[in-house]
Parts: sequence; C-alpha cells; structure tokens
Amino acid sequence: MAETTEEELKVLAAKAGLSDLPAEYKAELLSAYRHLEVMIARICRDRPQADEPAHVFDAATFARKA
Amino acid sequence: MAEFLTIAEAARRIATRDLSPVELLHTCLARIDAVDAELNSFVALTRERALEEAKAAEAEIMAGNYRGKLHGIPYNLKDIFETKGIRTTAQSKTLADYVPAEDCDAQQRLAAAGGVLLGKSATWEFAHGGPSWDVLFPPCRNPWDLDKDPAGSSSGSGASIAAGMVLGTMGSDTGGSIRGPAAANGIAGLKPTYGRVSRRGVLPNCFSHDHAGPLAWTSEDLAILMNCVAGFDPRDPGSVDLPVPNYTAALTGEVKGLTIGVPYRWLEEEAPPSAPTRTALDAALNVFRAMGASVRPVELPKLRAYEDAKKIIAMAELYTIHGPELRQRPELFGASLRYRIIAGGLIRAEDYIQAMRLRTELARAMQATFAEVDLMMLPAGEPAKKLQPQPPESLFTKVGYTTAFNVGGNPALALCMGFNEEGMPFSLQIVGKLFDEATVLKAGDAYEKATPWRERRPALVA
Repeated sequence: MAETTEEELKVLAAKAGLSDLPAEYKAELLSAYRHLEVMIARICRDRPQADEPAHVFDAATFARKA
Repeated sequence: MAEFLTIAEAARRIATRDLSPVELLHTCLARIDAVDAELNSFVALTRERALEEAKAAEAEIMAGNYRGKLHGIPYNLKDIFETKGIRTTAQSKTLADYVPAEDCDAQQRLAAAGGVLLGKSATWEFAHGGPSWDVLFPPCRNPWDLDKDPAGSSSGSGASIAAGMVLGTMGSDTGGSIRGPAAANGIAGLKPTYGRVSRRGVLPNCFSHDHAGPLAWTSEDLAILMNCVAGFDPRDPGSVDLPVPNYTAALTGEVKGLTIGVPYRWLEEEAPPSAPTRTALDAALNVFRAMGASVRPVELPKLRAYEDAKKIIAMAELYTIHGPELRQRPELFGASLRYRIIAGGLIRAEDYIQAMRLRTELARAMQATFAEVDLMMLPAGEPAKKLQPQPPESLFTKVGYTTAFNVGGNPALALCMGFNEEGMPFSLQIVGKLFDEATVLKAGDAYEKATPWRERRPALVA
C-alpha cells in the first residue's frame, strides 16, 4: 500500500475536524499516522463478504432491559 | 513496622476477632504516611472516610454480623473507577474537577462486602498514555527500587499492594495494564475473561478490549476479590450472564494432570525474552512438572498480528472518546496520550472493521489452541527498567506478551516468579480458557505455595 500523501492527509485530518490544530500538534499527527498506516497496511483485506467482525452487540442485553 | 498480611490472613484474624479492622487500617495508613510521598501510588487518600468505614465494620463484626472475607479489608481503586463524591481524574487535566454522582459497579460490590475504601491509585492518563510528567499528578514509582518503573497503566495499584499500603485493589487491562504493573511490582494481577467483571463506571480506554480486574499479593487474594466483583451487570453492554463459580473453593493445590502450552515460537523467534527471564520461565515450568503437570509447545498466530488488530481498533475507539476534547483543547492532554490517539481520527471505517474481522480470526485461533491444553504459560514481561519517558512511537513498534489475550478475551494472571540480580521481580503469565479463571487461579495459588517468592517484600517497607 502506497504511503498516504500530504494532500490526502490534509483531507483525512479535515474530516476528523483537525484542520485547525496548532502546527506542533499537526507534526505529532503526521508522525503518529506514519506508524499507524504501516499497521493498517499489514491487515488482510481478502476476506469473504460475510466474514463478520468482532463486536459487542448482544440483543439479549437489550431484551433484558426492555 | 507491623507484619504484612494478605487478605486471606487478615480475614481469618478479623473473623475470629483477633484483629480489628481499625487496627489493620492504621497499619496501612502508617505505611502510606511513611513512604507514599516517595512512591506517589495514591492520588487521593480518603483517610477520614476509611476510618469511619473501618469503625462501622468493627462494630458490625463485634455484633456478630460478619459479612465475609472482605469485611474490614482496606483497598483502593485505580483512578479511572468512578466513586460517588470522590474526585475521579484518570490522572488527566481534562478531568481535574470531575466528581462522579454514582459509584462504579466494582465499588458498589466491594462496599456491600464491607471493604474499606482507602483512596484512589495512580494511573497512566486515561489508562493509556504514560509514564508522564506533564499530566495531573507525578508518575508512580516502584517500591522495589524508586528509580524503576512500576509499569502501567495500573501503576499505583501495583505499587500500593507491593508496599503493603492496601491489601487489595482494582485495575483495568486493555493491553496489559493489570499484568504489567503486577509483574513490575512482584504481585499478582488477574485480567478476567472479557465480560466477567463489569466495566460500568470505569472510564473507558478502548471499549472492545477493556477488562476490569483485581490485583493483590497472592492468587488466593485475587480469588477472594473475584468472588466479590465477578458477575453479570445488565448495565455493561459487554457483561456476560453466566454462572460464577466459587473461586476460593477452586484453590485445591491440585495441578496434576493439567496440560500447559507454551508458545515457544513467540519466545524463540518473534519476541525472545532476555536470558534471565527465559531461565526464570523454564524454572517455573519445572515447578509445574514436579507437581504433575505436563508441558508442550503450542502454535499461535504472530504476536504482531494481535498487536496490529488491537492498536488500530484502540486508536479509533480512543479518538471517538477523546476527539471532541482533543479538537478543542489538545494542550490539556499529556504528550504521551495525545500522540497515541491523535491519528485515530484518520482511521477509515473500513480499516476499523477489517481490524475487527482480524480480531475475530485471531480470537478463534486462540480458542482453538485451548482445545489442546488447559493453560498457557509465558512471561508477563521483563523485570522493571528505569522510570523515564518512553518514545511515543514505542506504542506502535513494541511487541509484548500480554495484548494477545486482550484480543482473545481470555483470563490471564501475572504473578511473581523470582527476582533478578538487581532484586527486581520476574513475572509468570498464566492464561486460561474463556471463563475458566478458576483453573488459572488454582495454578497460580499452587505455584505460589510451592515457591518462596511471597516471603520477600520491598526493602523500602520491609
């Protein structure tokens, strides 16, 4: 997976509401994201459509409350 | 200074009126007054309230109304456990004035059992970023050596148990935050199965991987605490409605016939421990062999895969929790935590869900391996190193032995397995099948009783 470009990062940061961060924190954001994208790139994407993710929704919990 | 008592020992003496809860509390307070200015293990000390609770416990017991093994026992709570009327800060400037209106589930249960709340213990900021020198309180230190790191994030819980300032405590574990401090401080700490102990009222780190659990001097004491705090809570969405066994009754000392799996590929190829730690592990495994257990290798997916899945999920969840504050007042966060969450807002939904799919795959692989063995054993980590700021990127590059069991959700115990040349504790990790804390604690208790490691306390308080 290609490294995210500076321009792409600006778009992602804007979507996260981080456009107005002071410059020192933008440097932190960039540094941390460079490590994060390495981990994301390692994750397998070749999965069956019905491959269900782990989650904590348990209908029994809600039925009990009702 | 007075003798050190475990919960089990103190309970026996309190039940027979040989020891007063007020007397026991004063022993704990004397140790706190003597050493905690150096240790920083408490961020709030509820001295007057504790004295009232101890007096009430004493009066009840003298009137013949003994509630059980936690009646009159002093404990503290990691400062992410909400306590009604007592400031709960998560060691963060963002919560400097937060006073909860309700107790967390654990506090409700411990209070009902007659425990004596002595205060709140130091944590890494929001149980995630640390150690830090730029948050609400200074970092906790290690009672075995004040220059050493007590590990995190349940730092104060671990240090206060080792120093005998309380007999029990509750911490939280999202990637190793109970087991790391238990290891560094030479005590016992249990991360129960996900859903076994309620997280209601525990400030979140990462919803999908957060576990609440006890720390104490011995596995027997953990069993006593688990008898109190384990159980279904309909107000925790992750809580599981399954019968809870009597954990102390499970401590039979009998480990003969148990099959212990060791993930040797992790230890020999992917993340080899230091030679002294490996020697300590091999010696611990020999103790179990001598007690009649068998040891065999097991194969698991790569540690790195467990770390990747958990960290991507955690960063997305952390940003969801802290994003609003981070966008408005980033300077209020410590640099360590801020670095660990700031990029979480850039994770796309597809990547988060792919990480959750990977978690499913990894958790299934973990449970499949447990079809072959009763327990797994490996180190909890390395002995404590110097307390100093850690490079923030270490979160992303570090691979440890604890996170995999948060991903799997399995119960995992850290307990002392000896000391290195510097006098710092080694720690053994014992992992069990889902919801089988009883076998984990049984093995831990048998090991502690077969070895001399529980006889030594830090020189600071000995």
